[in-house]
Amino acid sequence: MPDLNIDFTVNGRKVARKVDPSRRLLDLLRDDLTLTGTKEGCGAGECGTCSVFVDGKLVKSCLMPAAKAQGADIETVEGLAAPGELTPVQRAFHKTGASQCGFCIPGMVMAATSALRENPNAGIEEIKERMGGNICRCTGYTKIFEAVEIARDVIAGKLPQTALNQDGAASSFIGHNTRRLDAPSKVSGRLKYAGDMDMQGMLHMQVLRSPHAHARIVKIDTSRAEALPGVHCVITSEDVPGTDGFGVFVHDQPIMARGKVRHVGEAVAAVAADTVRIAREATRLIEVEYEELPGLYDPEDALKEGAPVIHDYAADNVVKHIPVRKGDIEKGFAEADIILTDDFSTQQVEHAYLEPEAGIAYVDHDDVVTVISPSQNITHHRHMLSHIIDKPINKVRFIMSPVGGGFGGKEDMIYQGMLALAAMKTHRPIKLVFTREESFIASAKRHPSRTHYKMGLTRDGRITAIEFSMLSDGGAYGMSSEGVMRKAAILSCGPYEIHNLKVDTRVVYTNNTPSGAFRTFGGMQAQFATESMMDMAAEKLGLDPFEIRRRNMMKAGSLTHTQQKLNSASIGTVLEAAEKACRWESGAPTVRGETRGDLGGPDTRQPCTLGARFAEAATQIEKAKVAS
Amino acid sequence: MLTCDTYLMPTTLKDALQVWADAPEGSRLVAGATDILPWARDGRAGDVHLPCMVDITRVSELQGYEVQGDRVRLNANMVFQQFLEDETLIRLLPNMPYCAAWFADDQIRQQATLVGNIVNASPAGDGLPPVLTLNGEIELARLQDGAVVTRRLPVADFVTGPGRTELDAGEIATAVYVDAMEGYGGSFQKVGMRRSLVISAVCCAALVRTDASGKVFEDIRLSIGGIGPRPIRLHDIEEMLRGQEMTRELVAQASLKPAELVASRSRVEYRRAVTSGFVEAAIEDALVALGAPKPEPEQRETLNA
Ligand SMILES: Cc1cc2nc3c(=O)[nH]c(=O)nc-3n(C[C@H](O)[C@H](O)[C@H](O)COP(=O)(O)OP(=O)(O)OC[C@H]3O[C@@H](n4cnc5c(N)ncnc54)[C@H](O)[C@@H]3O)c2cc1C
Ligand code: FES
Ligand code: FES
Repeated sequence: MPDLNIDFTVNGRKVARKVDPSRRLLDLLRDDLTLTGTKEGCGAGECGTCSVFVDGKLVKSCLMPAAKAQGADIETVEGLAAPGELTPVQRAFHKTGASQCGFCIPGMVMAATSALRENPNAGIEEIKERMGGNICRCTGYTKIFEAVEIARDVIAGKLPQTALNQDGAASSFIGHNTRRLDAPSKVSGRLKYAGDMDMQGMLHMQVLRSPHAHARIVKIDTSRAEALPGVHCVITSEDVPGTDGFGVFVHDQPIMARGKVRHVGEAVAAVAADTVRIAREATRLIEVEYEELPGLYDPEDALKEGAPVIHDYAADNVVKHIPVRKGDIEKGFAEADIILTDDFSTQQVEHAYLEPEAGIAYVDHDDVVTVISPSQNITHHRHMLSHIIDKPINKVRFIMSPVGGGFGGKEDMIYQGMLALAAMKTHRPIKLVFTREESFIASAKRHPSRTHYKMGLTRDGRITAIEFSMLSDGGAYGMSSEGVMRKAAILSCGPYEIHNLKVDTRVVYTNNTPSGAFRTFGGMQAQFATESMMDMAAEKLGLDPFEIRRRNMMKAGSLTHTQQKLNSASIGTVLEAAEKACRWESGAPTVRGETRGDLGGPDTRQPCTLGARFAEAATQIEKAKVAS
Repeated sequence: MLTCDTYLMPTTLKDALQVWADAPEGSRLVAGATDILPWARDGRAGDVHLPCMVDITRVSELQGYEVQGDRVRLNANMVFQQFLEDETLIRLLPNMPYCAAWFADDQIRQQATLVGNIVNASPAGDGLPPVLTLNGEIELARLQDGAVVTRRLPVADFVTGPGRTELDAGEIATAVYVDAMEGYGGSFQKVGMRRSLVISAVCCAALVRTDASGKVFEDIRLSIGGIGPRPIRLHDIEEMLRGQEMTRELVAQASLKPAELVASRSRVEYRRAVTSGFVEAAIEDALVALGAPKPEPEQRETLNA
């Protein structure tokens, strides 16, 4: 492969490099020049973590072949300010708290910088439009836009430089705006996530994944992959020295598919090689013979008589069933004036943290197998790995790298085991960075759920009984399913005091992508059903939705659904604050319509438009007309 | 992952045509690369190896544009951002700034070319409907006995289906010729999942000119994308409206027509429902661009009801 010679300027310095012509500008910056402030969140132009200036114009470096950098002047986040200093934009981000996981932040800083360079007077709508190519999964954007407006006004001299300083230090951190300690490292791009780290002699891993949802593995032939120059090892479940199996509750998941695959995207084999390109090529040389098995794709089918069995240990396909009983529902329903029943369903959701899974493993000089990764559960991972690789716990170490967003999705040890095995086999540091597509296909999702609900109420809105039954799709492996079902059951009927209830949450195995932890951990699915029921009950009974909630809410002394006595309860305060903040017009839901006064107005989020840019185009047209 | 053995950046058209003609089978032309790079990823083409990539963005003859009487020659390296920023183009191609504003995002618009969008021939490509309203013709160049020869054909004929065009082996698209439409009001409508970075489900472009009284459609051009294998001009609706007095009823009536044309393979009902409101909105926005007052959304809804 002939190399490509590239001469260009990066952050004011002349650079000359000989590179693989397949490289993208992003690879050139990150791998060849170790400018890792520029991130790769998607590799497909969708996220903006890779934004850099090329000849003064902001572009997405994942979409630019490196050859196009020839002769160009490139500016990256590292070049915005002198070492140790921050630009007004960066300082404003620090001030407002516009960085959480931080993975999107260098790109956001670049996009904000570009917006203000293109139009130093841009209004907030135009700023939003100009930054539309950058995605953040943590902040909700509000703090970011606040920062850009402060920076704009400071740069324009409308606000003093001191506006970028921390607000007066208060005596307590609680209730005060406190700057994050790690924000400067995030706004400057200096923070190293696992994918940004490099080690001497490091090899690169790529994973061969299953194209089938449910299939027996008849044979894996790795010989052609092993023979490819540059390949250092190929691993399969055969290489596991100890007791294979991990999971947050049940250890039902092998490091790599063992005997059969249970979902599309499951790891089957992995290669460690000198480069990512060689490792990828090698995965294509691995020959796997599958025998397809009938699959399960709907949780209800999983419970049917004679359904295919996904895991031998669970012949009924049930991962977990959590029943909660309190009082006597027959009596409760008998006391009701009305009984409402309904069904609710929620869908599978991907966390889409901007940092795709990444990690490095190595065996240190004392034979300690070490894994660096953005794991949300390192202690548990460490214990599980010690069994899997059959080493005492003091020979297994986990280091948690900065987590570029997790939201529960990084609790599962879906790749750390493969890294450890390859490091043990080669005694070289091994690095794996998921592509965005791989992250989508291989990581756990929010449980899709179906809830059947029956609620009995008196005419004045008091709940007399609830029967709540939820079936969740756990996908191919148990992961956090058990905990999610527990929490769904415990929170099922909401912050309301229900004397008679029968709650069942069930999660079953299917051949869908595994479900796992995701913000609220089962609470969202249950609350969606409960709160919808509350609103529908209010409508049926002609009650104000706040009022019906007040009539049922837990108070100090109430017994929770699992019969714990509460010393205090804050739902009353929460309802009051919410009612006030939304300028609620009291009355049953049916009395309102388009005329309700609490729609729109201050503090409501306006629909997004492209107004700012259209207005700009119109003025350009006007200007052009005048000029011609 | 996209890999290649050689990446070439010729600087003259002749060199480009020469290396392109000599490039091994399976090589690709590259402009902004915003379609090619994401295409070579899992879930789409997967890993792709190309023997040679011929990048035409440094070819000097393919830069910029030229106004030639009542036509504008847009050279192949024109990127979408230029239609949003260049004052002459804003004046002459009144629906292009709106198309550009909806296209991808500010960053991708700096790279993505209009010609790349046309050659890519996506049924939902945003660049195609406005170019159809502008009576776009594409110019294709190739080498013949060492000399550059060109041919031209209407963009409407050039794009034959999803991802399919009349481009022959060894040819490079060098320019698009479009009508200069000064004095027309332009608009572009798009539905997708969000504002930035979204491929259209349906998109629609309009150009409208009214008579001196501002009451009669003197001329109107409409086209729509995302409802079939390729974007199309709505000649019959144009006929229905041309020379007619502009009434809300007439516009609403005319807008019902394209729903019959929906021939997409997915989300057919949705696309049908969207198209009618869309054509109506495109016409109204084009009138607003000419100075008409912006209609209230309720006015539109009552007419459609
Ligand atoms: C995140 C993202 C968002 C996007 N949003 C939109 C959107 O909103 N609307 C939309 O329509 N598209 C969108 N796209 C698609 C893409 O950006 C456009 O189609 C773009 O116009 C392609 O132009 P390019 O110069 O990048 O083409 P390239 O990727 O370089 O090439 C595209 C194709 O055209 C061929 N080609 C290019 N130039 C020539 C030439 N001169 N002669 C012959 N063949 C040529 C290439 O060989 C290739 O087959 C988006 C893409 C991404 C990644
Ligand atoms: S846009 Fe380039 S990595 Fe996401
Ligand atoms: S801070 Fe933006 S993605 Fe985490």
